[in-house]
Amino acid sequence: MSLFANASLRGRLLVWIGVLLAAVLMGFGVTAYQLNRRDQLERLDQELFRKVAALARDVRGPGMIPGGAFSTPSGRDPREPMKQPPRIPGEEGSQPNRPPPGFQNGDRPLREMPGMGFRQPPGPRKVTLSVENAAVFSEAERAGVYYMLWSREGGIMAASSHIPVALERPPPPENNAGILAMTHDVYREAYYFTERGDCILVGAPLAPLLANMRRFALWLAVAGATVLVIGVGGAGWLISRAVKPVEQIAEAATRISQGNLSERIDAGGMARELAGLAGVLNTSFGRLEAAFTEQKRFTADASHELRTPLAVMIMEAQTTLARERPAADYRVALEGCLDSAQQMRRLTDSLLQFARFDAGQEGIVRAPLDLAVVAQRCLEHLRPLAQSRGIEVTTDLASAPLKGDEIRLAQVVTNLVQNALHYNVERGRIWVRTQIENGQAVLTVADTGQGIAAEDLPHVFERFFRADRARSRAEGRSGLGLAIAQTIVQAHGGTLSVTSELGVGSTFVLRLPVGAG
Amino acid sequence: MKLLVVEDEPRLLASLARALGEEGYAVDTASDGEEGLFKAQTYDYDVVVLDVMLPKLEGWGVLQRLRDTKRTPVLMLTARDAPSDRVQGLDLGADDYLIKPFDLSELLARVRALIRRAAGQAQSRLSIGEIVIDLKARRVTRGGAEVTLTAREYSIFEYLALHRGEVVTRGDLYEHLFDENEDTLSNLLEVHVSGIRKKLGHDLIATRRGLGYCIESA
Repeated sequence: MSLFANASLRGRLLVWIGVLLAAVLMGFGVTAYQLNRRDQLERLDQELFRKVAALARDVRGPGMIPGGAFSTPSGRDPREPMKQPPRIPGEEGSQPNRPPPGFQNGDRPLREMPGMGFRQPPGPRKVTLSVENAAVFSEAERAGVYYMLWSREGGIMAASSHIPVALERPPPPENNAGILAMTHDVYREAYYFTERGDCILVGAPLAPLLANMRRFALWLAVAGATVLVIGVGGAGWLISRAVKPVEQIAEAATRISQGNLSERIDAGGMARELAGLAGVLNTSFGRLEAAFTEQKRFTADASHELRTPLAVMIMEAQTTLARERPAADYRVALEGCLDSAQQMRRLTDSLLQFARFDAGQEGIVRAPLDLAVVAQRCLEHLRPLAQSRGIEVTTDLASAPLKGDEIRLAQVVTNLVQNALHYNVERGRIWVRTQIENGQAVLTVADTGQGIAAEDLPHVFERFFRADRARSRAEGRSGLGLAIAQTIVQAHGGTLSVTSELGVGSTFVLRLPVGAG
Repeated sequence: MKLLVVEDEPRLLASLARALGEEGYAVDTASDGEEGLFKAQTYDYDVVVLDVMLPKLEGWGVLQRLRDTKRTPVLMLTARDAPSDRVQGLDLGADDYLIKPFDLSELLARVRALIRRAAGQAQSRLSIGEIVIDLKARRVTRGGAEVTLTAREYSIFEYLALHRGEVVTRGDLYEHLFDENEDTLSNLLEVHVSGIRKKLGHDLIATRRGLGYCIESA
């Protein structure tokens, strides 16, 4: 069965269709055969009955047929089909024909009838065929038809010129059953017992009928086989046509996934179901490609960001070491190296954080905290920076309790406030507000900074994106802060959004669900 | 020789400028693509050291546009090392390519090579009569004995030697040997040239009145 389980779709379909078709054809053939046989046998029987009836007229004499032809006490028309299906020699048992007690052959009684003594009974009555019957029968005899008439006592009243060797008078039926038919050896015989007890029997060889049936069976077999072959062949062709697109899809998909991800499966001309499948695959490839491209870009950016401080370190160190320098130079160089190293450490931390988030390993602690308190602490921390740039900080920190990760949210708030301070003008202003609104904890950070251009706005949360590259590079910023912030916010089930106007300022809004988000 | 360094990371830019300056080059700097392109088009530098990732105009753009007008040798710096980047750079007309972080010595060697190549010089030694300049070591020997030249003197001499057979105008020399941060006094050149003549021989450098200086070809 496991062999079957992995067999091809084509193979399976073909096998099932073949089996089904063969079964149907067989059923059809068998039915046709049976019907034909029954039909033929019936016709033969009809023929024999007619002959028996004809002979019966001769036996009775004209005008002496009681009550119309062949009415029997039971009212059954003996021309109706037999109760049992007629049997053909070779099949399971026709009734063995035993001579009634006292008879060894149909010719003459051999045993003395009780009460009669041992002497020759009077000779059997003889019947002469009418002219028409004689003509009919002499014609029929050429086809092998024979007849015999017995008197009630068993004497032969008439017989055809050729009779089968083992011909015997059949046993009389219990009741008047009209004309009966039976199969005797390779012959089919119809017989009738008159009221007087005479027996009329007409028989015909079954050989022609059998030959017909054989021919018919052969014809059925040949026709059936032909139909089967054509049917299976046609089905095979149709199946191939139907299955081919599936194979094409599989092949194209394999090729694409192993090679060029920007290629797509061409679903033109395919059936609706398959086109749907191809469509789904194409969409998946599109997403895969986008993911890979994003991945590549991220990797390229990350490596660039890491290599830059490295280059600075190496360059400064090598330059400084190239010749003798005053001690102060070495100090400056070392401080520079430390600076670069710190920058790289920050960057590495950010990158690792991303990696963990991406791998789903960064868990978010869910503990009660107050966003206002977090904001307060961050502002305290950044006060020196604000002061150094002469920036006025206005706060409105209403209590905003929620469940979340305090450390990470502090990271987010710090990043937002830092951005507001960095991208601000000298002596600018920033506003920080926390509140509960519509069942969410909301933090708003607004600044009077340089703003973000409309075309950059959708990209600000992308990794390594920096709107003003020259300036932000100078301050050692990597462009990952907002991307990390958004990842953290999303992990809390919240949203981070921004509105901005160039030359005026920007406003960032953080919304977090209050409950376990 | 005068170089232009275009790099947006300020500390790296400062470091490069210092290192190259200490090697005796005059160094101009630019911290974005537009500024870099402007300077490279306006002045004749011997080599432009160009970073790929620049604000305002990417390094590739600067290179392409520069190549429309000038054949200044360009050495590209990048932190990306995808082969496609390298191919793209070379196809666009870069003369060489360095991947950050790099060794200072490698940078210096490649700059020297570019200068030599531009002057049609394959080796790092030049001989003029019995005077041999070791371009790599920046040393001059006369008859086997080393001659000490000041940095400026060496630069001028090297430039004239690399353009042997051509008349080098004062303007050329100023352009190529003094960076924008210096005040140029016209007689300074004369002083240096006479210094060279004292140390290496009066016949070495010919003065073409009204035109400039020249070291005659052999």
